[in-house]
Amino acid sequence: MKFLSNRYLILGAILIILAGGLLLLPKYEKQEGIRSKQLLSHAISPERYISTDDISHKIISQDPSFILVDVRDEESYNNYSLPNAINIPLSKLLDEDSLTYLNQDQFDVVFYSNNTFLADQAWMLCDRLGFKNLHVLKGGLNTWYTTIINPTKPNEAMPETEFKLYSTRKAASMYYGVAYPDQNFGNDLPTTPETPKKVVTVEKKKKRKAEGGC
Amino acid sequence: MNTKYKTSPHQYWNPYFGGFLLGIIIIFTFYLTGRGLGASGAIKSSVVTVVENVAPKHAESNSYYSQFITDDKSPMNTWLVYEALGILIGAFISGSISGRIKWRVQHSPKITAKRRLIFALIGGILFGLGAQIARGCTSGAALSGMAVLSTGGFLTMLSIFGSAYAFAYFFRKNWI
Amino acid sequence: MGPLIPGGYIPLEWDSIIAIFIGIAFGFVLEASGFSSSRKLAGVFYGYDFAVLKVFFTAAAVSVIGIYYMDYLGYLDISKLYVHPTYLWGAIIGGIIMGAGFVTGGFCPGTSLCAVAIGKLDAWIYVFGIMVGVFIFSELFNLFEPIYDGYNFGNITLIDSFGWNPYWVIFIFTIIAVLAFGIADLVRKKIKSVFY
Repeated sequence: MKFLSNRYLILGAILIILAGGLLLLPKYEKQEGIRSKQLLSHAISPERYISTDDISHKIISQDPSFILVDVRDEESYNNYSLPNAINIPLSKLLDEDSLTYLNQDQFDVVFYSNNTFLADQAWMLCDRLGFKNLHVLKGGLNTWYTTIINPTKPNEAMPETEFKLYSTRKAASMYYGVAYPDQNFGNDLPTTPETPKKVVTVEKKKKRKAEGGC
Repeated sequence: MNTKYKTSPHQYWNPYFGGFLLGIIIIFTFYLTGRGLGASGAIKSSVVTVVENVAPKHAESNSYYSQFITDDKSPMNTWLVYEALGILIGAFISGSISGRIKWRVQHSPKITAKRRLIFALIGGILFGLGAQIARGCTSGAALSGMAVLSTGGFLTMLSIFGSAYAFAYFFRKNWI
Repeated sequence: MGPLIPGGYIPLEWDSIIAIFIGIAFGFVLEASGFSSSRKLAGVFYGYDFAVLKVFFTAAAVSVIGIYYMDYLGYLDISKLYVHPTYLWGAIIGGIIMGAGFVTGGFCPGTSLCAVAIGKLDAWIYVFGIMVGVFIFSELFNLFEPIYDGYNFGNITLIDSFGWNPYWVIFIFTIIAVLAFGIADLVRKKIKSVFY
């Protein structure tokens, strides 16, 4: 018995084929974030690293445009850290709370760790997720220590600029609480200065959840 | 093969065509707003508004109404109310194009208009009650829920049609 | 990139305007498909007119297929869509009550609004009935609250509940729908036609 006209059979077949098409589509992993080529170009960009002198200058001039992110664990952070730095251990990098600091376009984010190892990993993860304005402190805290806190005195043979740099660094280190023998301060251990903590307020991204309800 | 195309005010669209367009509208709604269609929500909002205006104290103290009352905006200022207004306009346009607009009570010739109206009222009360318990009606819960494969949407759809078929026998006099 | 409004691609102010236009399209299609007639709607339960079944399942199949294609092509992110929450017993008991209301009153809320627009007095009474129903529910909210708020499984889909592959679910759903259309036409041939 013919109970369906041909046109409905065809329409029904089209619908089923369309639904079946979903099954046959090649599976692909949805890539979250940016592509490898872009990632590479970010990675080799000179803007990726910020020198300790630049950061030191920014801290002293109380530049509000950046956030220092300490990616070491909490203990090291409490032991010693840069002024106004916030602590996001690498393991907690992708937590909801952390993302409000990292995934925004108001501030420059500067990662640092003892060397650049952890900071580079944090940078790579965040860059892959498409976050903006990410930087790494060049050389990490080790370089920070040898350049800012305890600058090496240039010897006679070095050019004039080295001496200038030395004197700015020396001045900077005094800001960070380092005392020199020619001044009448007590110890020469680097201590965190008692500057009031800057409160970083990051505006949450405006994104609404879809709502419903009948 | 099929030659009996009638011409009457009851000439409606081919149901598959209507269903296809409705499906496109649902996709479009999800694409734009991330949510599905609905209808009973608008009626709920109007009930909340009426109760709030008649007995504001009572509306505040009732734990159901108070969910929908905010200080800064009226309960009528919701997406579903605007959408329901659109439904009225759209249906009116379609009805006027096909010449179906008329004040009348539609009922089976075997029953009186009064009986039809009484049953309409009972049906409305039941549907209003059920739609609140299930948090959505045929459009909000079942249709829009099924479009995103919501488990609740499928459950509601199965319950509505299952129970309607189960009860159909008792009300057959009203319809056939 | 979609959905556009929650994603911030369209300003929020457009939300209500878009709602009206979507409503107009929705109302137009429902009315033009004959959903403003309670006797046509009720036909699905007595086998003399299967418009409800055909429109409803065609719409569900088309929309779910379309949404998953758009997700695949990257235009729409399914995880950002609103999923109707599953309150197990609320859905079942509410659905049973709605089913009884459907066959008694001959409308569901969306279709009754269409019928209101074209002047069906029974639909006006029906909408008034819905309001009474909502009122009764709210007044007796404490009584209904355990079902209303209980057994909450969250905004889950069939994929979350049963671990099924969504594409298979859609494929099988579509086949069932098409088969149902065929069976509906078979049944309709056997049943004495009713003129309305």
